[in-house]
Amino acid sequence: MDVSSTGIQEPFDLIRLSLSERVFVKLRGDREMTGILHAYDGHMNLILSDVEETIMIVSEGEQQATVNVAKRKMDMLFVRGDGVILVSPPSRT
Amino acid sequence: MDESPPPPDVQSPPPPPPSHTGSPTDFLKGVVGKKVIVRLNSGVDYRGILSCLDGYMNIALEQTEEHVEGKITNRYGDAFIRGNNVLYISAAEEL
Amino acid sequence: MLIFSVFKTLTDQQVTVELKNDLSITGVLKSVDQFLNIRLDNITVLDETRHPHMMAVKNCFIRGSVVRYVQLPAEHVDTQLLEDATRREAQTQTKR
Repeated sequence: MDVSSTGIQEPFDLIRLSLSERVFVKLRGDREMTGILHAYDGHMNLILSDVEETIMIVSEGEQQATVNVAKRKMDMLFVRGDGVILVSPPSRT
Repeated sequence: MDESPPPPDVQSPPPPPPSHTGSPTDFLKGVVGKKVIVRLNSGVDYRGILSCLDGYMNIALEQTEEHVEGKITNRYGDAFIRGNNVLYISAAEEL
Repeated sequence: MLIFSVFKTLTDQQVTVELKNDLSITGVLKSVDQFLNIRLDNITVLDETRHPHMMAVKNCFIRGSVVRYVQLPAEHVDTQLLEDATRREAQTQTKR
């Protein structure tokens, strides 16, 4: 049961190895955020600090859709797991 | 007559069946470590190497590209995808 | 269970709950249960003019499933403790 630097047994290992690191989270409702991961559970409920959230606001124009982004920062945030689509750890390169 | 005797292995177990006859579980076991396309309910595709997955279809991918309407919109070294968003997993190379 | 415990330690602190319908409610966290249902006291709504029907409401019960985010008071969250507890819980989950 040794977890080598690349070998992970289950998807949650990827998240566990990202504790105290800055992660990228893609959420339902055209939202994304980065933050430092401090806690998670099996539902993918997350607790992040130093969060920057980006909301994509798509407005359908006559010719083409325009995308506006709204950004905001939050100190400490609980994210409910059912909104999570994807979590990506910082690239280990 | 140089007819060689019938091969002795007629009664040995048959070779493993081709992967396309296996169960869904066999398929999933077979694609771990391979290039896959994961399509989400939203229609977004993720192409990458399948590191592993669990019973909820939570997925860990490596060297992932996010494709939206045929265009690459993001790249991730590693990506965890929450299983409830997954529509299908498709093998992107020969098994 | 871990996140439930975190919320329990934050009772009587001020939090802001953002719902999936974009309503943001700030108030004092009075209680929480295992579903992460939340009771808030002394509430104010972020954009009161957009939600005039909320102006008279002083406290509320929020069903956990409608929550998108909860903004927590960072000074009352011990991040090191959280990470250790998360690793411990992850270990017990893996030993299935």
